[in-house]
Amino acid sequence: MLQVNKVEAGYGKLKILRGVTMTVPQGEIVTLLGGNGTGKSTMLKAVSGLIPVMSGNIIFDGVDISTMKPHERMRLGLVQVTQSKEAYPAMTVEENLMLGAYTRSDRASIAADLEKVYGFFPVLKERRKQLSATLSGGEVQMLVIGRGLMAGPKMLMLDEPSAAIAPKVVLEIFSNINKIAKSGVTILVVEQNVRMALILANYGYIIRDGVIMMEGKADSLISDPAVKESFLGGSVADTSKKLQSG
Amino acid sequence: MGFDFNSLLAFIIFGITIGVVYGIVALGISLIYSGLDIVHFAHGEMYMFGAFFGLVLVHDAGFPYPIALVGAMVLTALLGMFVERVFYRRLTRAGGGYTVAGMGMIICGFGMSVALVNVAYFIWGAEAEPFRANLDYIPRLEFGDGIQVPESYVLTAIISVVLMLALNYFLRYTKIGLAVRAVAHNKEIAYLMGINVPLMISLIFGLACARAAAAGVLIGPMQSVQVEMGYLMLMKAFAAAVVGGFGSLPGAIVGGIMVGIFENLGAAYISPSHKDIYAFLLLILVLSIRPSGLFGIEAKVKA
Ligand SMILES: Nc1ncnc2c1ncn2[C@@H]1O[C@H](COP(=O)(O)OP(=O)(O)OP(=O)(O)O)[C@@H](O)[C@H]1O
Ligand SMILES: [Mg+2]
Repeated sequence: MLQVNKVEAGYGKLKILRGVTMTVPQGEIVTLLGGNGTGKSTMLKAVSGLIPVMSGNIIFDGVDISTMKPHERMRLGLVQVTQSKEAYPAMTVEENLMLGAYTRSDRASIAADLEKVYGFFPVLKERRKQLSATLSGGEVQMLVIGRGLMAGPKMLMLDEPSAAIAPKVVLEIFSNINKIAKSGVTILVVEQNVRMALILANYGYIIRDGVIMMEGKADSLISDPAVKESFLGGSVADTSKKLQSG
Repeated sequence: MGFDFNSLLAFIIFGITIGVVYGIVALGISLIYSGLDIVHFAHGEMYMFGAFFGLVLVHDAGFPYPIALVGAMVLTALLGMFVERVFYRRLTRAGGGYTVAGMGMIICGFGMSVALVNVAYFIWGAEAEPFRANLDYIPRLEFGDGIQVPESYVLTAIISVVLMLALNYFLRYTKIGLAVRAVAHNKEIAYLMGINVPLMISLIFGLACARAAAAGVLIGPMQSVQVEMGYLMLMKAFAAAVVGGFGSLPGAIVGGIMVGIFENLGAAYISPSHKDIYAFLLLILVLSIRPSGLFGIEAKVKA
């Protein structure tokens, strides 16, 4: 579905991604993991077109999208939800969701998708007439995912859906991401919550300083000693030992 | 000699009519600000060009006034979109607001203002031209004890209100209006919704400049048309926008009306020779009570 070949990208002259190659197969959940400032969001922006690709190319659904504008890529069914979790605060929940369907004109299928989103996130239905400024952090995350779904995506890219959200709500959101994938939407999810992401995903990439450092099937990554050491923080006993000595 | 309520009423009515014109120019400035995060210093020149386009369409091309009004709005919208696309876009692409590029944008706006005045000077000369429009079919209004409101004022009030309502309807209830609001709030996310952001930016500029042109054609028959008329209008419209709360659309209208009334009352009861400073007195007064302007809170939640 998505193929990223030796992509270099960044901001102005500053190069952040230094030749990233990734594949996201149709119908699967792939996760991109890494610490703060390693280039995860930059990667999603390069794919969605918010920043230009300096070299390499990006193939989506058989089309080379490397030089397309963001709204053109989106119209092909490639939808990104940004890390900033921004809903339009002065619009109601439902207006926000309808904005996601901005490019579509078939009312019947828009209405059907709206019901689908409300099925995934019932709390949004309860709050549909409320201004989105009044939502909690978890609800806003559900809203922006829902808004992405309203675009009728073939592939949805999520940027840290678990950030700054209570563990219980994270579980709810992740189980919905799983359901969304089951409904036929391919998913690329960027995460720092490595354990949760690897449980959710089929395949994982680990990025550091703009290059892919490691990749593999999710269940093999989760038991990999190197991953355990650097991302899962070892066992509880290890961590407390580090705290004492550090 | 008692206090003459009749003339007070007249001053207020004239204040409101001129105020709604400040309001629609301020509306354009606010629209550009909330949409693009730039303060457009050449907006007064859009007003001036609009007035000249209207004048040429009526005097030289012989069109009836209403057609000239629409024609001037369209021509000025095109001029504004051209200026934005060719000159401003390079700078705004680097980021507006309070960044270094934002500062460049302000200077660029001033430069554009001077350049446009000179272009107009080259075409139309420095003479003030009277704008003769045939408005006989518009009724004069009479209030109370024989206060007469001339045709051009009646027309101005009606058209301004129609333009405001049309903009409000467009932004609230149409799909493209929704897209404009989305672009105003956050361009990245608007892009990701599939909205053609550069096109919406042109549209915002066009709408704002068309409104300034309408103001020019409306004011034309009351005063006269002259290449330097933009400066004073810009100042008044700025005062209106700031009084109302910068970036707030309803604020722009309310601010405009307040400036219009305040200025007329000042001219009538304090001193007519300082008419143009009252707008700023009001500005200082309002800002000292509410530093973010009357509708300043809403301005923070843009669009
Ligand atoms: N708009 C920008 N202009 C310049 N540099 C940027 C910009 N955005 C990010 N960077 C830089 O690019 C690098 C990678 O940032 P990126 O946002 O991709 O990190 P990330 O992996 O998403 O981190 P996090 O998990 O904290 O979100 C960082 O060093 C950051 O400072
Ligand atoms: Mg990030």
